[in-house]
Amino acid sequence: MQAGLAASLALALLGVPVFSLAADLTDAAEIIQRANLAAYYAGDDGRSDARMRIRDGQGREQLRQFTILRRDREDGGDQDFMVFFSRPADVRGMVFQVAKHIDGDDDRWLYLPGLDLVKRISAGDKRTSFVGSHFFYEDISGRNPNDDHHVLTGSDAQSYVLENTPKNPATVEFKSYTVWVDKQTFLPMKIEYINEIGEIYRRMEVLEVKSIQGYPTAIRSKMNDLQGGGHTLLEFRYTRFDLGLPQEVFSERSLRNPPRQWLKRPSG
Amino acid sequence: MKLRLIVLLLLFSPALLAEDQGVVVEDDWDDDWGEETTEDMPFHGFVEAGFGSRLQSDSAVGRRTTLAETRFRGETELVRERWSLALKADLYADDVEAALDANVRELALVFAPAANVDIKIGRQVLTWGTGDFLFLNDLFPKDFVSFFTGRDDEYLKAPSNTVRASVFGKAINIDLAWTPVFADDRFLNGKRFSFFSAFAGGIVAPDPPLVAQKPGRSLGNGELAARLYKTANSVEYAAYVYIGFWKQPLGVTARQTLFFPRLSVYGASLRRPAWGGIANFEFAFYDSRDDRSGDDPLVANSQLRLLLGYERELVARLSLGLQLYGEWTSHHGRLLQNSLTPQFEAEQLRTLLTTRLNYHDARDRWQHSLFVFVSPSDSDYHLRPQVRYRMNDAWSFIGGANLFGGSKPYTFFGQLEDNSNIFARARYSF
Repeated sequence: MQAGLAASLALALLGVPVFSLAADLTDAAEIIQRANLAAYYAGDDGRSDARMRIRDGQGREQLRQFTILRRDREDGGDQDFMVFFSRPADVRGMVFQVAKHIDGDDDRWLYLPGLDLVKRISAGDKRTSFVGSHFFYEDISGRNPNDDHHVLTGSDAQSYVLENTPKNPATVEFKSYTVWVDKQTFLPMKIEYINEIGEIYRRMEVLEVKSIQGYPTAIRSKMNDLQGGGHTLLEFRYTRFDLGLPQEVFSERSLRNPPRQWLKRPSG
Repeated sequence: MKLRLIVLLLLFSPALLAEDQGVVVEDDWDDDWGEETTEDMPFHGFVEAGFGSRLQSDSAVGRRTTLAETRFRGETELVRERWSLALKADLYADDVEAALDANVRELALVFAPAANVDIKIGRQVLTWGTGDFLFLNDLFPKDFVSFFTGRDDEYLKAPSNTVRASVFGKAINIDLAWTPVFADDRFLNGKRFSFFSAFAGGIVAPDPPLVAQKPGRSLGNGELAARLYKTANSVEYAAYVYIGFWKQPLGVTARQTLFFPRLSVYGASLRRPAWGGIANFEFAFYDSRDDRSGDDPLVANSQLRLLLGYERELVARLSLGLQLYGEWTSHHGRLLQNSLTPQFEAEQLRTLLTTRLNYHDARDRWQHSLFVFVSPSDSDYHLRPQVRYRMNDAWSFIGGANLFGGSKPYTFFGQLEDNSNIFARARYSF
C-alpha cells in the first residue's frame, strides 16, 4: 500500500498519468472510494455547462440546460453546488443551491426570480427525479459510499465489477446495484439497478469520456428507465477544474445575483 | 367582445400549434448549445391567455368574469463586465377592466462598487422573510388582486422603484432597500372584487373604485427597509427593520378619505432544518406611529405578528407545509371603545392556519398544489387548489380556483365569499 502510493506519487511527479498503473485492486471499498473521487471530486472545484434531454416512454421530449459550480470542502467529503438554469424559458433564471453533507441531511435552496424569493427546500428524498429527468439528485451529487455494502464480484481487462447492497433498504427503491468501474480512470462506466424481483429496471451508461486538465471526465451519459421506457441524455461541456472558486460564491448573494465571472464559459 | 374571442382562440389553439413544438430538438442537439448565453441581449418571455369566472353572482359586482386577459411578457438583459441592465415588462389586454396596459416589472441596473457590495437601482421585485404566502417583515408591495384572480404566483409581488444595497460581510450581511416614493399594495378597490365596508355596513364594490390618498412626495415620505442576516451551521438568522407606512389604507381622515398611516416594523426570523424538514419562526412588531395609544378609531392599532412554520417531504415529490400565524392587536379594549363600528372589529388575536400540499410527477409534467388558509378566530377560509400541466418546454396549462367563505361577512376572507372563482390559463414560453 505504502509502496503503491510512493510509486504513484513518483509517476505523478514524472508527469505520467496515475491511472496507468496496471496492478489490479482487490479491495472493494478502495475501488468504490476511488470511483467516488473520480466521478464527483475531480479537482478542488469546477464549473461546467450541462444539458439534459429527457425523453419519456411516449417519446415526448423536454430539455434542461444549466451551469454547475462546485467546490469541495474536502476530497470525498462535504461539497457545495450551485446550479443556474438557462433553459427552458419557464425555469430560466432559477438557481438551485446545495450544501452536501456527508454526515447528515443536505441543505437546499431554490431561488425563484419572478418573486425574488429564496426558498429553502427540505432535504427530502434523494432518490427522486432531478428537474424532471431520469437522473436522481443522488446521481448528480453522488451517493455516499458508506450507505452501501460493496463486494467485488468480478473483473475483466477493462473494469472492476462490484455489487452493492444498501445498509438501509427502506430508504432506497433498489435491492442492489451493479457498477462497472473503469480500471484506468476509475470512472463508473455502467450502473444497473436491480429491484426486489431481480429485474434490472434502471441503467446508467457513460457514452463518452474526455480528459479535461488531466481529469478523466464523463461528458456524455445516459440514464435509462427500463420499465417506463424513457431515458435522459446528459452532456457536459465547457468544463474546467481548479478555478480557485471562493467559498463565498456559494451563498445567497449568488442566488439573487449570479456570479457572472464564474459562469462565463472558458475560452478555448 | 373581440378580446374575449381572442382569449378563447388562444386557449383552444395551443393543442394544434403544439404539434410542432413537441419535438424541440432531434439528435442534432449536439450543435445547439445555447448560443444565447453568449448572445448580447437574449430575448425571452411568454404569451398567456387567462380566463376566470365567479362561481356565483355577486350583488355588488354585476359581472361574473374575474379574469379575461391576454398577456405578453418580454425579458432581456444587457450584460457588461462591470454592470448589467435587466428589463422585464408585460403588455396586456384586460377585458375585465377594459384596458390595454403595460407594466414594467423590472428595469434595473446592477453593479458592484466594491468587492463585497452589490447595488441594484430601479424598478424591481423584492422579497424576504420566511413565510409562505404570509408576509411579516416583508413590506414590499403585494398585489392581492392578482393573487385572488388566479394570475401566476409571481404577480403576488408587485414591483417598486427602489435602490437596494447589499453588503456582504464575514460576520453578517446587510440589505438596505430605499423606496423614495411610497409603493402601496394593490388592494381590493371594487373594480374586480367586492369587499366589506364598515361604513356601508355591507359588501360593496364602489364605482368609481376606491382611491386612497398617498403620502406626499417628499424625501421624508419614502420607505426604508433593512435586513441583517447570516447563515451558520445550516441555520438562517435574520433581523428586520421597516420605516414607512401601512401598505393598505388603514386610516381615514376627518374628511372621510382613506390614507396610509405611518408605520414602523421591527422583527426577526430563524429558519433551520428540523425533524427531516424545514422549520421557521418569525415575528414582527407593527408600530402604528399615528395611533400608538390605540384610541384613534380612524387609524389601525399597533400589532404583534407571529409565525411558526414547518415543511417537509412526506413521500417522494409530495410535500406538506404547515403554518401557524397570529396577529395580536394592542390596546384592543380602547379600539372597541372608540370604534365607530365595534361589531365589525377583528378579535384581539386573529389566528390563521395554513396548509400547503404540493405534488409533481417524476417528469414534472403534472404539478398539483393545494393551499389552504383557515382562520379559527375569524371562522373563515380561502382555498387555492391548482393543477398545472406542462405539455412541453413551451406550453403549459394551469387550472385552479380561489374559494372563499366564512360565517361573517366582515372578516378578511369571509367578505370575499361572493368572489369565489375558477380560472384557466394557457401559456407559451419562449
